[in-house]
Amino acid sequence: MNVMSAILKPYGILKTYIDGEKEKAVEAGRTVRQMMVDLGIPPEIVALVLVNDEPKPKDYILQDGDIVKLLAVIGGG
Amino acid sequence: MNGYGGSILRVNLTTGQITKQPTPPELGRDFIGGRGFGVYFLFKEVPKGADPLGPENKLIISSGPFSGMLIPGAGKCDWTTKSPLTGGYADASMGGHFTAEMKYAGIDTIILEGASPKPVYLFIDDQKIQLVDASPLWGKGALAVEKELKDRYGEEYQIAAIGPGGENLVLYACINHDYGRQAGRGGVGAVMGSKKVKAIVLHGTRSVPVVDLKGYRKAGMALYLACKESEGLAEWTRYGTTIVTNWCDEVGALPTRNFSAGSFEGGPNIYGQTMRKEIVITDKGCFGCPSPCGKYSSMKRYNTMVEGPEYETIGMIGSNLGIADIQAVAEANRLCDDLGIDTISAGGCIAWAMECYAKGILTRVDTDGLELKFGNIEATFEAIHKIAHREGKLGNLLAEGTKRAANKIGQGSEKFAIQVKGMEQSAYATHNATAMLLAYMTCDVGAHHNRSWAITYDLQVGRDKVVPEKVARIIWLQNFRPMFDVLGSCRLQWVELGIDRDLYLPALEAITGIHRTWEDLEAVGDRIWNLTRLFWARENEGFGREWDLPSPRFYEEPPQTGATAGQITTFQDVQRLLDMYYEQRGWDNNGLPTPTTLEKLGITAIAV
Repeated sequence: MNVMSAILKPYGILKTYIDGEKEKAVEAGRTVRQMMVDLGIPPEIVALVLVNDEPKPKDYILQDGDIVKLLAVIGGG
Repeated sequence: MNGYGGSILRVNLTTGQITKQPTPPELGRDFIGGRGFGVYFLFKEVPKGADPLGPENKLIISSGPFSGMLIPGAGKCDWTTKSPLTGGYADASMGGHFTAEMKYAGIDTIILEGASPKPVYLFIDDQKIQLVDASPLWGKGALAVEKELKDRYGEEYQIAAIGPGGENLVLYACINHDYGRQAGRGGVGAVMGSKKVKAIVLHGTRSVPVVDLKGYRKAGMALYLACKESEGLAEWTRYGTTIVTNWCDEVGALPTRNFSAGSFEGGPNIYGQTMRKEIVITDKGCFGCPSPCGKYSSMKRYNTMVEGPEYETIGMIGSNLGIADIQAVAEANRLCDDLGIDTISAGGCIAWAMECYAKGILTRVDTDGLELKFGNIEATFEAIHKIAHREGKLGNLLAEGTKRAANKIGQGSEKFAIQVKGMEQSAYATHNATAMLLAYMTCDVGAHHNRSWAITYDLQVGRDKVVPEKVARIIWLQNFRPMFDVLGSCRLQWVELGIDRDLYLPALEAITGIHRTWEDLEAVGDRIWNLTRLFWARENEGFGREWDLPSPRFYEEPPQTGATAGQITTFQDVQRLLDMYYEQRGWDNNGLPTPTTLEKLGITAIAV
């Protein structure tokens, strides 16, 4: 059976949570929030979730083939 | 001087005398430019006890070595003065194209001193510099005046103008430029108004000398390339600062109904995504900007347009007034810009008045008939007009800022005047974010976020934790971040795009010929920080620890709703933050720099 998967692309400091890699294949069928928790990314520090370049809530359920970008605000205004 | 316009322009408005002197090389060496030049001239030339709205005060406008150069965001100009709002140090950073033209006219700093007997504008066209009668412009909106002066002189002339707010000495009046950029905070527009200067018109055509042209081009290109390759570029450009609105709502940092909470039930109506979809027409950047954060918006309901709103305005005039309507927020933004008042302080003042109204402290008699309820859009528009014109009881009361207004009205309203040192807190709720709270408490202009910002850091470390690392982080940011205001470029390429700050160093060296490390630059930042502190102490008898306390709302009243419901910083922790901060800064227990610290920083001679 094929496991549904999505591609995670964290920006900036969020890369540190996936060992400095630019992207990582992650399991689909769960929320973005759950994926972040499983990877040790504190969901509250992520300011913007883009799925296939569209803003989505953290409760969005990942679909097979989704590309998920995460952006944190580090410097502020 | 390499990297500089080369002269200090002094305009005595009382006598009409205009003089130029060469920029002293040692000034460039020790204070570099921008805010550094501003604090130096302010400290040395404004006499102790000067009335901020009197002829003895000065308005000091400075560019830096990056201003007008091929450096990302090199359109920043610094406006320094003694603040009429706070009675202390103020500087406001303004984007756009003004600073580039100033430098091309061969000017590093313009010092406006004295006061003109009649309205004038300052006209600068390279070597031709004169004061022109501005009587026909007096009373007009800042946006209208910019258009009129551009029509008269040409698009290449850059205009900075005040609106009625500055003319009427509203203590948080701003200066407008480029139809939507402001020197916003601390009442710099009121100081310009007190000198009867309606506008500055300038244009320059000279080149700026650099030491190493090839190295400068190479370093500049490396900076632009880093911006272009930044992963966040597309999203930051799409949303600008409004990118943070939904996140602030989520983490309880979005000021709601006079900072009584940090999450807003109408939040989605004012999020950046909503704004982009509903009102944004196009993006707009300042001089040399590769990541334009400005947004031109069209408000169809009002048949108007504005540059904005950006996050601070959305927070202070949207959620903080209980307004869940992005078109209304944008229209209020336009009114503030044209009338020439700071949207942050205006939002803070109206929110305070709305809470007074809700509690029966202010009635319709006090509001000149306005039903000043949270969420009332028309009453908000009307209040903005009244403030800018100091019209009626309400306009005159709120034109003074929340601290003075609350002291006048009393009845416990002082506790919910959300300000530090008299400046209204900008748009981050800090009920449970101790590093950010300290940032506001110790910011050298009052409760503003520009010097240091640490909400994400609070979340990473533990938002209620009070530890020396948090304090050290704030001090580092306070020494480092304002250096962009010294150099004359925008900090957002570092802040938002996350480019490597070391890329700026070869550019600075190629332009000025002086090798500097970030350690060197942060030492200059530390020197400036201590001088601004000394200015506060010099100008305010009894200045000290009490002045650094935040609004009691952040240690006495936990929010009832939202992400931070039930959470609050204790007063004991507020004091611990100050203890640690003073110790790490080398200040005494009352928050004043010790002689040893001044000696170490090499500013003992200036400080006397």
